[in-house]
Amino acid sequence: MRFLDWAVVAAYLIYVIWDGIRMTKHSGNVEGYFLANRSLPWWAVGLSVMATQLSAITLVGTTGQAYSDGMRFIQFYYGLPLAMVILCITAVPFFYRAKVYTAYEYLEKRFDAKTRSLTSFFFLISRGLGVGVVIAAPSVILSIVLGWHEVTTIFVMGLSTTFYTMIGGVQAVTWTDVKQMVVIFLGLSVVLIIILSSFPAEVSVADGLHLAGTTGRLTTIDTSFDLKERYTIWSGLIGALFLFLSYFGCDQSQVQRFLTAKSVSEGRTSLLMSAFLKIPMQFLILLIGVMVFVFYQFQTPPMIFNQVEAIKAETSRPADYQNLQTQYEAAHAAREQAALNFVTVNRQANEAATEVAKQNYLQADAQFNESRKNATEFIKTANENKNFNDINYVFPTFVIANMPAGIIGLIIAAIFAAAMSSISAELNSLATATVIDFYRRHFKPEATDTHYVFAGRVATFFWGIFACIVAMYSTSLGSLIEVVNTFGSFFYGSLLGVFVLAIAVPRSRARGAFFGLLFGIISVWISSRYLDIAFLWFNVVGCLSTVIAGYLISLTVRENTQN
Amino acid sequence: MDTEKIDEKGAVEELPDSWWYRVYVGVIVTTIIVISALGIFTSYFSS
Repeated sequence: MRFLDWAVVAAYLIYVIWDGIRMTKHSGNVEGYFLANRSLPWWAVGLSVMATQLSAITLVGTTGQAYSDGMRFIQFYYGLPLAMVILCITAVPFFYRAKVYTAYEYLEKRFDAKTRSLTSFFFLISRGLGVGVVIAAPSVILSIVLGWHEVTTIFVMGLSTTFYTMIGGVQAVTWTDVKQMVVIFLGLSVVLIIILSSFPAEVSVADGLHLAGTTGRLTTIDTSFDLKERYTIWSGLIGALFLFLSYFGCDQSQVQRFLTAKSVSEGRTSLLMSAFLKIPMQFLILLIGVMVFVFYQFQTPPMIFNQVEAIKAETSRPADYQNLQTQYEAAHAAREQAALNFVTVNRQANEAATEVAKQNYLQADAQFNESRKNATEFIKTANENKNFNDINYVFPTFVIANMPAGIIGLIIAAIFAAAMSSISAELNSLATATVIDFYRRHFKPEATDTHYVFAGRVATFFWGIFACIVAMYSTSLGSLIEVVNTFGSFFYGSLLGVFVLAIAVPRSRARGAFFGLLFGIISVWISSRYLDIAFLWFNVVGCLSTVIAGYLISLTVRENTQN
Repeated sequence: MDTEKIDEKGAVEELPDSWWYRVYVGVIVTTIIVISALGIFTSYFSS
């Protein structure tokens, strides 16, 4: 990082904080602070929806995943457009016309206060812990890349976002999201252009794509129906459909986005923006990871992308490390030669020679992968870190090592932007649920707008500090991240089930919804223990269990005692 | 694209459901085309 890079990062942080704070003048009343007076245009809301979902770990993690495993992750998003259509028909008009502040407020109108409080409570727990992970994951990576202490990175990212979210409310969240999306797209586009222009003169973009395709890294459709396989077209179209219905339709961090729109039509259009743009955007992000893979066919990649772990292992066992490094470089040189040969032969219309060159290249690639795997295993042993995995370090390390001055700063700013756009929306939604679903509902129902806006700011500050503390601990407790993610997947499908009961099952009653939710969560927990299925399917299990149990329990409720 | 109209009283006039159903069909058709295009992209560069 040179002076120009630091200047770009500093300029980004100062501008975003200033931009957020200046929204204070629109946030004087409750509806203004939490819902922007329902006045925002569809394109701003749509960009905010996309920015909220695109966290830093999505940006950094998926490029690394594409580098090592290819584009199969894109199948995760195939169910998203259909989910958006279903939500445009159901959730958007229901929530918007009910004039609610939170999705859970609607459940009290439909069922009772108990169901509202339970769902909102689960949201606060899962999202409160989740936002800590959203801060922690990029902070760990950025602290190594930037040479900062982890706690410094956590507090720079967490407190700056908390500050402008607390002051400016949802207006600050949405309008900074818009600018942050511009920074992210600009950064990604510039990186892609620079990578493509960095290939050797004799290698075209099409040649690079052929190399990636030969190793299976361009796989975008896997039709095998294997419930254990995380990313197939079926897990994307069915499992992820349920996840997206729940995330965009029942999670306050997303529902609050479209509730700020000017009208039902604008709310619908904002969601459909994601339906059209999400798959191409994810394709762009994954393509960058694949192009980094192609770039490193002709440049020697680091044996270990996490430099802190690499130095630690090299210091403790220098001879072994050097031996592995020598083998690794030899494997890379052989693969580079095989790749150049395959590119040359592939252009000639000689099928037999092409097939031979292809097999040679695949063999060289397998040997290279084996040497990297050996190096990874060595790090696990030498550093006594059995969970070591440096996929998330591929993209930032590549950027730092290969991008020109100024562009590195732009990419680091884009990673900050991706993290802060998610954090701000989540803090704002946590504050909204805290104030509207608990404080105003149970403790102080009659107070002035000024009082509730103040309460909203206090709640935002509380959740910001809470998230930073969770982030500090989750960096040292790897399993906590897993626990939080697992808890989220237990909860999401069941939460969706409650809303399905509310909107689509007229016979459902409050008792059915309340106990159906608990039954759904328990069903997912049992499934996770006894069924070997990929996590996306838990959303299907949770939703169906909740709906079936909720409906059956509702049948036992007498009409004159409930609703 | 404006998705709303403001009537003489200043109230927001929503677009009719029939219009939205055509949009939804457009979204689904576009998604099928995009996924198919990705499949063609994969098979072209993998062969």
